Amino acid sequence: MRVLIMEDDKTVATFMARGLKEAGHVCDLAHDGEEGLEMGRDGSYDVLVVDRMMPRRDGLSVIETLRSDGDKTPILILSALGEVDDRVDGLKSGADDYLVKPYAFAELLARVEVLARRRDPGAVQTKLSVGDLEMDLLARTVKRDGEEIVLQPREFRLLEFLMRHSGQVVTRTMLLEKVWDYHFDPQTNVIDVHISRLRAKIDKPFGLSMLHTVRGAGYRLQA
Amino acid sequence: MMTPRRRLPAFARTTAFRLTLLSAGLFALSSFVILALVWASAVVPAMRRADTAIDQEVAVIEAIYAREGTQGANRYVIQRSAGGGAQFHYMLSDPEGRFITRTLTHLPAVAHDEQGRVRFSYFREAIAEGAPGPESRAVRGRMVQLPGGHTLFVGLDVEDEARFVAGMINAVILASGLALALGVVSGAVVSRRFARRLADINAAARKVMAGRLDARAPRNHSEDDLDELSGNFNAMLDRVEHLMQRMRSAGDSIAHDLRLPLTRMRGRLEAALVEEGGIEAREAALAQAISDSEELLKTFNAVLSLTRLQAGERRRAFETLDPAEILADVAEMYEPVCEEAGLEFGSEIQPGLKVTGDRELLAQAVANLLDNAVKYTPEGGAVVLRLRKTRDGATEVSVTDTGPGIPPEDRARVLERFVRLEESRSLPGVGLGLSLVQAIAEVHGARLTLDEGPGSVSGGGAGLRIAITLPRPK
Repeated sequence: MRVLIMEDDKTVATFMARGLKEAGHVCDLAHDGEEGLEMGRDGSYDVLVVDRMMPRRDGLSVIETLRSDGDKTPILILSALGEVDDRVDGLKSGADDYLVKPYAFAELLARVEVLARRRDPGAVQTKLSVGDLEMDLLARTVKRDGEEIVLQPREFRLLEFLMRHSGQVVTRTMLLEKVWDYHFDPQTNVIDVHISRLRAKIDKPFGLSMLHTVRGAGYRLQA
Repeated sequence: MMTPRRRLPAFARTTAFRLTLLSAGLFALSSFVILALVWASAVVPAMRRADTAIDQEVAVIEAIYAREGTQGANRYVIQRSAGGGAQFHYMLSDPEGRFITRTLTHLPAVAHDEQGRVRFSYFREAIAEGAPGPESRAVRGRMVQLPGGHTLFVGLDVEDEARFVAGMINAVILASGLALALGVVSGAVVSRRFARRLADINAAARKVMAGRLDARAPRNHSEDDLDELSGNFNAMLDRVEHLMQRMRSAGDSIAHDLRLPLTRMRGRLEAALVEEGGIEAREAALAQAISDSEELLKTFNAVLSLTRLQAGERRRAFETLDPAEILADVAEMYEPVCEEAGLEFGSEIQPGLKVTGDRELLAQAVANLLDNAVKYTPEGGAVVLRLRKTRDGATEVSVTDTGPGIPPEDRARVLERFVRLEESRSLPGVGLGLSLVQAIAEVHGARLTLDEGPGSVSGGGAGLRIAITLPRPK
């Protein structure tokens, strides 16, 4: 996929671009807000990664301008400001996701990939399926290999998120944000514990495991 | 033509001096108001009485004139003026303007109004031996045309009243002038005192600005406003100094806590660079370096949020919340964690309470408490999360564990940044959890209390009960 990175720090930008290229993506760099806006207007990118503070035009203004032009390209905003208000401002401007600096590259990559393959929000899905795992969102039931699995509400939401992003790496922070709606960092491995519980229900009885741990990054649900 | 404004002397530029001057000015003004009142209530009626007396005398003469003619009127006037009893002045002149009788040598050429009223002064010769004279006497009078063409003037000597009024005006002017002068002098004296005390406070402020944070404004403990200002000024400086010290020690602690892992990480990377361990060893070293740097970032973020919390930035996002929802959420999150750690987890959550606060922060505080409980409670123990309303209407969130507990003498200390008791040095963590909880409690106006737990269940220790007591929402 094609990613446009707007970041004024050249070292960080080059590092990001190299990582994304290694993961098989095409990357362009813009070093200030004006340049970024001009390149972003091209409309040929799958994801925009926008640094919040840039010379000539700040990230929020770039995003607002693109959105007011009707551009719907998914945008990930990067910022050194991590407080709730800053996050809300970032998302209000039209960004789709928010990542606080400094971040692990795996976190950035996972988020960019999730954004790029974001499904059309217009299409309402009532059933999800990954391999022999099936989820009925209306009946709130989960089956694997035709056999019903009983899940707690939170486990259901956790699995739903994993299934919606099947084949992609989802990080612990992403899960904490999207499934629990918390933005702080629990010191113990809370997410790991919940994942292993879920694994015990959806994988263990069936021999073939679908929920994989990706070292240094997070988890991936794959058939 | 512009002349540079001359600087007033120091005392004249002080607020106290200006205020004194203002009050002296107001005093002078009020003197004039009093004068006007006296004028209206005493002088005006006196003049009116004089005019009435004149009118009555004129009426009497007119009546005599009508009855007995010029002769009669003249006789009456002569009789009256010879009597010496009345202070009336008369003048009677024939149609040609020749005087028939007069007690004044002439009438000054002053205009009279349509009623014939005139006012003038004349010089009177000394009346008696030794008496002062000639002196000016004020007269009010009335000029009337009699039907036969004669002109009658009746006047009344009002010199005494005029003198009284003039004396009064002089007294008031003198008093106001004196008040103004006294005001300036006392203002100067008072403001000099005031200015000296303010200068002391300013001097202290300048010392602080120059970097001497221990400088304080002098106090005379008179409990007056300036003393209070000094007191507040000093209290503010105490607070600033305390914060600076805290920042410095936090900075030192951060440096200390970050230096060690950074050095370790660097060492590991250097070793990986020179070692002959092959690709796998290098990869392991890199992975370790990444996880080290993640720990560093966590410490860093925790310090940052702690600092921001202590600056009180989050308070404006407060809303009314049901703590039961937050706690149920966190309980659900930690229950499997406890189970994994071989701990029994219980929660007793009272529904329907209300608190004012930030959902995320409160959840974080409870999560931190549960984190600690899980970390320090040995396997086989128990952790209980409770939410209840206290007898005085406050909301109490508590986490009780059966771990080793914290000795009473260490309880205050564990709330400080980076403090980790010796016994826990080997466990992961940076020692910011409880200080973060403490800071969250502080922004919510809540109290954090550390107590002994229910006593040993599994032979571990006294256990620990930490409670956050949130005030009743306003």
